[in-house]
Amino acid sequence: MSTFFTFVINGLSLGSVYALIAIGFVVVFKSTRVLNFAHGSVLLLGAYVVGRTHEALGFGLAVLAGVGAAAAAGVLIDVVVMRRARGADLGTLAILTLGVDIVLLTELTRRIGVDVLTTGAPWGTNVVDLAGAKVPESRLIAAAVAIVLMAMLAAVSRYTDAGVAMRAAAADGETASLVGVRLGRVAMAAWALAGALAAVAGVFLGSFPSPGIDATLGLAALAAIPAWVLGGFDSIPGAVVGGLIIGVVSALTTGYQEELSFLGRGLGEVAPYAVMLLVLLIRPSGLFGTREITRV
Amino acid sequence: MPDTPPRGSTTNASPKPADRPLLRVADLEVSYGGTMRVLRSVSLSVPDGAVATVLGGNGAGKSTLLRAISGTLPFTGGSIDAGSVEFGGRRLDGLDAATVVRTGVVQVPEGRRIFGALTVEENLRAGGLPLPRRSRVSGRERVYELFPVLRERRRQRAGLLSGGEQQMLAIGRGLMAEPRLLLLDEPSLGLAPKMMERIAGVIAEINRQGTAVVLVEQNAALALEVSDVAFVLEAGRLALQGPARDLANSDEVRDRYLGTADGAAAQPPSDAPSDAPSDAPSGAVRRSAGSTTRPVAPVLRPTGARGHRASAEAPQELSVQGLTVRFGGIVALQDVSFTISAGSIHALIGPNGAGKSTCLNVLSGVYRASAGSVRYGGHELTRLPPHHIARLGVSRTFQNMSLSVRETVADNLLLGRHRLMRGGFVSTGLWLRPARREDSAHRKQIVRVAELLDIAGHLGRPVRVLPYGVRKRVELARALCAEPGLLLLDEPVAGMTGEESVAMAGAVVAACRELGLSLLVVEHDMAFVMGVADYVTVLDFGRRIADGSPEQVRQDPEVLRAYLGSGGDGPAGEAAT
Repeated sequence: MSTFFTFVINGLSLGSVYALIAIGFVVVFKSTRVLNFAHGSVLLLGAYVVGRTHEALGFGLAVLAGVGAAAAAGVLIDVVVMRRARGADLGTLAILTLGVDIVLLTELTRRIGVDVLTTGAPWGTNVVDLAGAKVPESRLIAAAVAIVLMAMLAAVSRYTDAGVAMRAAAADGETASLVGVRLGRVAMAAWALAGALAAVAGVFLGSFPSPGIDATLGLAALAAIPAWVLGGFDSIPGAVVGGLIIGVVSALTTGYQEELSFLGRGLGEVAPYAVMLLVLLIRPSGLFGTREITRV
Repeated sequence: MPDTPPRGSTTNASPKPADRPLLRVADLEVSYGGTMRVLRSVSLSVPDGAVATVLGGNGAGKSTLLRAISGTLPFTGGSIDAGSVEFGGRRLDGLDAATVVRTGVVQVPEGRRIFGALTVEENLRAGGLPLPRRSRVSGRERVYELFPVLRERRRQRAGLLSGGEQQMLAIGRGLMAEPRLLLLDEPSLGLAPKMMERIAGVIAEINRQGTAVVLVEQNAALALEVSDVAFVLEAGRLALQGPARDLANSDEVRDRYLGTADGAAAQPPSDAPSDAPSDAPSGAVRRSAGSTTRPVAPVLRPTGARGHRASAEAPQELSVQGLTVRFGGIVALQDVSFTISAGSIHALIGPNGAGKSTCLNVLSGVYRASAGSVRYGGHELTRLPPHHIARLGVSRTFQNMSLSVRETVADNLLLGRHRLMRGGFVSTGLWLRPARREDSAHRKQIVRVAELLDIAGHLGRPVRVLPYGVRKRVELARALCAEPGLLLLDEPVAGMTGEESVAMAGAVVAACRELGLSLLVVEHDMAFVMGVADYVTVLDFGRRIADGSPEQVRQDPEVLRAYLGSGGDGPAGEAAT
């Protein structure tokens, strides 16, 4: 029982990191209708910057640098590449991001080589005993940070002008521009926000219990794609719930690997997609995917 | 009108400030996708503090003109090929929409595009974004004063407001930016007659407070009444212009825009270009309906395709008993009953928010009834899903239209025939002979319907490029393509000129009479309703307040109070509360 509890707690904390990544997908999609497949390499970039600079700058400043670099990368992708193709169809835009992803990932892989960088996080390898469950301290901090960030995000989107502008732009870009919302800025803000969240997620994905930051870290963002999709593509609460579900599912299937061995090896990687398909079969627009609220 | 000095600091440019117009459009040429030319060498100017009306049929280029001014052409693939738009001495052409707003020109788009997922208050807040925070509070108070109902519903999601309330919100949102020039695209669209009077009052009030207005409005009587100057666009060219009063009295405008159907509905203000008494227009509608009957007759008769037993569904009696619908705490319909006998035309009217669209939504299965029953033939509709109801031969159109805008008109119409299609997955996929034969039969049939509604020329075009009035006809055509026994129409002539609305009435009546189908129509155009309906049910706040023949309903004091306003008799103009 306590192993089960341990798996669930671990899953939830991992899930909150996935949620941060999935929120990035959602925010970019909502504001610019882009399925952003370059998200993984932006995440890797953020983590890479932290890994390379923490010795010189200290962890706190390094994280700021990483977040800044990832946010700037997001803005650059938007301004240099995506903006020129605005209004193109979904497929074209998605393929453009795949191209960006390949370029960025290749360069980062070249720089990292076979190294495994550390994040230099002060919490190191501590493990906390939480009501019988053994949980790495880094995971608990990850969950706490994710919760704080999500709460801030919710507050910003609800109570500030920028938040109202972003929601208006997401709902109806043309009308939003008629009330003076600058769509270009909204798009830039969305890309920057997605990049920043990805960098934070990258730091936690690169911390204990995972070995560190290597060139495959970007693939971790792929694990958030089922979270994004099953949450409903355009719903931030959906991304959060989706992230938690995927986190728990992969923690459980990985944890009970032995017992589930009749399903084959590597189940932990497949299970999120299986859950995603299952959810989509029952609810084709995802858990929270808003079919628009309109009067007919 | 009051001559308030212009705000802002754009006055430096001009050497002769005296008679320089606020807005000057010069030799404007606009096309879509580089091919479809929509505006041809249009020049006009609007003096500061004036109200200007742009009249014209559907497709004349009115909305395009507003888009060119507000910088939203790129969203629909349009571009300015030549000419200029100047506002207070500043060139607007070439600026993007968000920048144009900041110069003081605000457009309230057609079709009340409020942000449905945001609350009323957040919508207003979005409208005030271009202003510094301090000056917004007073702006919001001003909007709430103009539209008290918005204050009551400020915490609700805007998507849940009724059509009329959404229109108020859209106008209020535009006012939040404190524009010097407000562009209103079809503000009275889909509003009850009494509500239209209010909108007219609101426009006058906005103008009195120092904002110039450019109005695009199908209700020409209403528009000319509140305007100082007017322009008439025809096929992308400026055909007429002059003081509103003069144009209202010109024969051309009378015939095309005031003449028959239009005026009677809204007829409020006493000194409106006086129409004939309201009997006359309805008579006109009837006559033209009769006259179109003949040629239509053979057209819609049951389809050539074989095996379509479901087609040409014989209409049944529809009986609504004690229908009640609640959304959370709100009662949208309360104990409403009426009966539509087979083959008759029944109108459902009432103020905005009375529950008319809700009623259609229950009949077509989109909403669930909380209590009561709806029987059509032998079936209890309240328990059936929408697709099942459609299969019984109940077909509908939507107030805000729900066409697949990227698809062609032909494809939209074929979709309407879905319930009549028999070809299976395999035979259609392999394009076997029976499937091909069926396909060509269906295509023939949609061409016939398209011809009836005069949209055959648009069949190959994507809906996206069509003007509003044509889309409206496409939507009706799609419903007719299903060969229904009962047709539900939600505001079929909203947004049409007098002339067009008469033609639409003709087509609708002809189709109903010829096919013998029953019709339930929700519509604010009183000339249309009184002209075509056999029977009228009036709703107010979700309750039935009257029921009877058009003549009975028109004289019902309760209906006059709640809906028609100062309509027929009684002192005009004061009912605008």
